[in-house]
Amino acid sequence: MGEPSSTPSSSSAPPLELITSLPGHNDRAWSAAWNPRTNLLATCSTDRDVRLFSHSRSSGGHGDTMEGEEQVRFALRETIPTGHKRTVRQVAWSPSGRTLATASFDSTVGIWQQLPPSESGVVDATGSANPSSSSTGMWDCIGTLEGHESECKSVTFNRNGTLLASCSRDKSVWIWEVQPDGDFECLSVLMEHSQDVKCVRWSPREDLLASASYDDTIRLYLDDPSDDWFCYTTLTGHTSTVWSLSFSPCGNHLASASDDSTVRIWSRLDEVQCKARGLQPQGKVAGRAGDRWVCTNVLKGWFGRTVYSVDWAKGREGTLGRLAAAGGDGRICVWEIAQPEGEEGAPVATLIASVEDAHGVSDINCVSWGPMCKAEQDGGEDAARFEEIGEDDDAEMGGNGSDTWGWNHLLASTADDGSLRVWRVPIVSLGSA
Amino acid sequence: MNATATKDNANPTVYRPAAAAAGSGSTSSSQDWWRDDAVHVADSKAPFYRSGDPATSVAINGMEIDGQDAELREEIDADEVFDLIRSVTDPEHPLTLEELAVVNAAHITVTRPGDHPGAPKYPCVRLEFTPTIPHCSMATLIGLSLRVRLLHALPPAYKVDILIRPGTHQSEMAINKQLNDKERVAAALENEHLFGVVKGCLESASRRGATEDEWARKADELAKEMGIAV
Repeated sequence: MGEPSSTPSSSSAPPLELITSLPGHNDRAWSAAWNPRTNLLATCSTDRDVRLFSHSRSSGGHGDTMEGEEQVRFALRETIPTGHKRTVRQVAWSPSGRTLATASFDSTVGIWQQLPPSESGVVDATGSANPSSSSTGMWDCIGTLEGHESECKSVTFNRNGTLLASCSRDKSVWIWEVQPDGDFECLSVLMEHSQDVKCVRWSPREDLLASASYDDTIRLYLDDPSDDWFCYTTLTGHTSTVWSLSFSPCGNHLASASDDSTVRIWSRLDEVQCKARGLQPQGKVAGRAGDRWVCTNVLKGWFGRTVYSVDWAKGREGTLGRLAAAGGDGRICVWEIAQPEGEEGAPVATLIASVEDAHGVSDINCVSWGPMCKAEQDGGEDAARFEEIGEDDDAEMGGNGSDTWGWNHLLASTADDGSLRVWRVPIVSLGSA
Repeated sequence: MNATATKDNANPTVYRPAAAAAGSGSTSSSQDWWRDDAVHVADSKAPFYRSGDPATSVAINGMEIDGQDAELREEIDADEVFDLIRSVTDPEHPLTLEELAVVNAAHITVTRPGDHPGAPKYPCVRLEFTPTIPHCSMATLIGLSLRVRLLHALPPAYKVDILIRPGTHQSEMAINKQLNDKERVAAALENEHLFGVVKGCLESASRRGATEDEWARKADELAKEMGIAV
């Protein structure tokens, strides 16, 4: 396969719609993460806090079309002074939504869980627990993962919540097992990169880990059941630091963002496709056929400075999803990624929305798609379950039919001025979905 | 203080600094407040990226940029940037980067939107500095000091790239990469010792080319003006 470049065409895409702009942190905001189960959005910062925002929707009522009638509101629920001694660089939620991990420049990873209301709040005059989120806080640190020798840059849970990965400027990637009692056991320390590791991300389909590094490469790791975790392939091509990674929802593609101002898409060739091209499959272990990853797209010319973040989420039926990217020139781009035309083709990236100066003059450090609702994720028969945390902090079941499309078209972005913004992909660019 | 014998470059060549640039602005109008170093907290912690109020300083898809920012941007050129950094001192010697010829205005490029077709929509500064010797171990520290100085002294709209003058250092590429990785820079500046040394280099930066004597005399004049002289 060649490496087709997708360069900007003369026609421009519609702008992303700004839903809300929140002042957020007192210093650079590095990262945002949506809780996959509840309506919380976490951000973290150089100011060492984690901020939790809740979001709620009001619509015209059951059966109304959501487009054009829906209002989404965000409110700051809680500011957690994490106690980290330095910048909090990234936050990550477990798939259950009940655990939060923080990666800090103080070289540790913090593990947080929410206390039950009766333990965390004061009892009011009526005798019922009344959590006071600002003074007592509802999130408690239940553990600290130590071991890295220098700043932690990234932390991420696997799709089942059974594994956690962290990485650091010490060039290592650590894999931790999440144990039933809430403890974490280090399974492996992988020192494959020659420089800082900037980002780690698990595949949504298997326990395959990807890491991005200051050494300009991406590495993929697997667990050999008869042995240990190992790096099975290195993806080269970027000409400078790789800052961020995101797998496609199907797990067969990987997007990367780099200081070389490009976004690359790497696609997985399975065993059959490898043999057809005369390539030796890699990463063949018990229970897993081998494969190869090749660079199929270079999105060049969209950004004038470092691209700090990519995120790939599910999109319209029949497509590979929507890819968002942003960086130091203040621009956010969203592409729809379509299946390749033929056997030999590469995925097709089409710009569907963008915005300039998304946070004014500030660098954008992170873009993150809102989570999918459960019904759409696994095609299950349940009606969508989406816990809404309302003003009084009671969990409600938001189960009407209009929830099935979920939040996936909302995009959060964080910036150097500490702000958090949430955007919506305009309906016109969704086509006939 | 290090003994002379352990310094990288024990006998640096000292160049006579050019006269402090005309218009280097000892007086500041309210709109030039960002130039006046007295406004900046000298002992602030790691650099903070001044945001202003996002509601007023934002430009989304063609909306007007805050007028103040637009006006300030027009006034900054290579000479102004040079003025801001010329009096930063070397970490090892009590000499300014101008006196050591580590920085000069000819190696500074300022690009503003519209300067040429294809120019980015944000103003950029490209600053090249020349270490005194090709294996200067202080090069990264000097670069870091320059970065912090410009972070504090330029409006946040400016994107700054700091590079070693090509061919003047044996680890040119590695140092360039470090100085332009904002995560590494931010983490380094969270180190109190390192930040302390950087601050030391920046203490004199507001002199903008004036000599220590000139600077002291000016302070004396101001004191008299303000009625606190004996």
